[in-house]
Amino acid sequence: MELHSEAIKMKSRKSVIGSRYATSTRFTSRNSNQGQARAAWLLGSPALILIFVFMLLPFIMSIGFSFTNKMLVQNINNPLRWTGFYNYQKLFQQKETLTAFLNTFKYALMVVPSILILATLLAISVNNRIKGIAVFRLIYFSPQVVSTIVVAIIWWFIFSPSSDGLLNSILESLGLGSRTWLKDPKLALTCISVMSIWQDIGMQMIIILGGLQFIPQELYEAATVDGCTRFQKMIHITLPLLKNTLNFVLITMTIASLKLFTQVYVLTEGGPQNKTLSIVYLMYLTGFTRSQVGYSSAMAVVFFILVLCISMIQNKLNTED
Amino acid sequence: MRNTSSNRLPLIMYILYSAIALIFIAPLLYISVSSLKPDLQIVSDMSSIKGFLPYGDLSLSNYLSVIQKMDFFKYFRNSAISTILTVIFGTLINAMLGYSLGMLEFKGKKLILSLMIAMMIIPTEAVIINRMLIAFHLKMLDTMTVLVVPALAYPMYVFLFYSHFKGMPKELMQAAVIDGASYEMIFTRIMFPLSQPVIATVAIMTFIRRWGELLWPTLVTRTDRFRTLPQAMRSLFTNSYVYWGEIFAYGVMVTIPTVIIFLLFQKPFIQSIAMTGIKG
Repeated sequence: MELHSEAIKMKSRKSVIGSRYATSTRFTSRNSNQGQARAAWLLGSPALILIFVFMLLPFIMSIGFSFTNKMLVQNINNPLRWTGFYNYQKLFQQKETLTAFLNTFKYALMVVPSILILATLLAISVNNRIKGIAVFRLIYFSPQVVSTIVVAIIWWFIFSPSSDGLLNSILESLGLGSRTWLKDPKLALTCISVMSIWQDIGMQMIIILGGLQFIPQELYEAATVDGCTRFQKMIHITLPLLKNTLNFVLITMTIASLKLFTQVYVLTEGGPQNKTLSIVYLMYLTGFTRSQVGYSSAMAVVFFILVLCISMIQNKLNTED
Repeated sequence: MRNTSSNRLPLIMYILYSAIALIFIAPLLYISVSSLKPDLQIVSDMSSIKGFLPYGDLSLSNYLSVIQKMDFFKYFRNSAISTILTVIFGTLINAMLGYSLGMLEFKGKKLILSLMIAMMIIPTEAVIINRMLIAFHLKMLDTMTVLVVPALAYPMYVFLFYSHFKGMPKELMQAAVIDGASYEMIFTRIMFPLSQPVIATVAIMTFIRRWGELLWPTLVTRTDRFRTLPQAMRSLFTNSYVYWGEIFAYGVMVTIPTVIIFLLFQKPFIQSIAMTGIKG
């Protein structure tokens, strides 16, 4: 930490003295550039130092530990040593890891398209000036405000496996019989997806609504004059002009869904039969509960590369069009 | 023909809107109403519309027994202090870095920007064990500091501030420079006060995230002294029987502060979220 702030001081001093970097851009504003660099490092350093110490450093440690047998509490008989690519080999051989990756992809495939479609429909339907529409928007957004722990309480009650759960008592009163929901290996991941969709849809709706309101109204008026139907306007005006916004939602939602953790942590702890075990939950389980920091770190590195690739591919597809 | 359909439309729309609204608000309404009922009634009302109706033996007894069962006010205080400190200082330092990246020219800016974007991809949970090891070596465990400091800087918020400040008129800054203001002063006197919508967004998001945070406090508190409200939920569970009334009452008490904060600042917050997809 000290080293880092020292480096920042060095850098700012360098620019105060008047290095060639500062003068090269614009000769006339030399003093101004020096002032800017000093102010930038001064104002930026608190956040930079904290990000370095509590985010970048842990990540660098992950890369380092992933090649060792690092334990949370190191066993005396098994001292810290380099193990090369052993953790990575283990990662690709263990069935558990494969399950976690598959579950996470399944979850993303259920959640991301649903949210994208439903939030777009919802945004289009609330994109008008009917009296009181702001209240409806606020209500659709409200699950976002509730802490995940309370959302978990709500859905845990809805999906309660015994007869005292909400869904079960409704099903039973309709004579349809009960299910065990979160305890049912076939249903558990779907239940978690439903909960995530319910919680996240409002936020994405607002973002898409922002994009919708950015589309010039004249385009619709011109289309009406040309005799276009509602559906045609949607296909030829709304969707193409909404592309950037939808792409933003797609990328952020994909990354967010690959990071699935809290829902699993509070609702199922990975069960039943590992059917809700997600990548990040397995990382936590391995590193903390099982104390295998080295192995968990290897997962973190693979996961990071994976997410990086996915977002790069999505970005590329977007710019190619 | 045209007239009648457009007259009828709003009513149909309102019914549709309300039906959708029910999906989002019904569970929250349900637990709020049920938290006032005794457990036997909660179970018997469950399968019908009665669950939404405040009737019967309503009382605050569930709330009282939650407060008695756990040291509610201590956990509430820990949560409140750590969250408020995180909101104030986190918003400020993220804005400071966002301003530097968005408005000022300096060497290394591009590198820091791409670092921020890369950091946004790393899930906090993936590095949280190493973060705990660092906190342990800095001798921070079991303090208020450990609940606040490691979570202050957050790349996504830096990025929100960055794209906000990048869109601010440069002329404003140049005018202030000509008037003799330093770049630090331009931030504190002009740019920060002009950023209320983003400040509201980051502040609310920080508040919600910190208030409900469960994993980090669990990892870094060893004794009961600095435990927070979400951690206290476990004390409501017994192996034999689920007291829904108490759990709902706890849920309502945890939710009230976030709802108040949200309602106070919702307008700039919603506006600024609506802008993220356009810039992004």
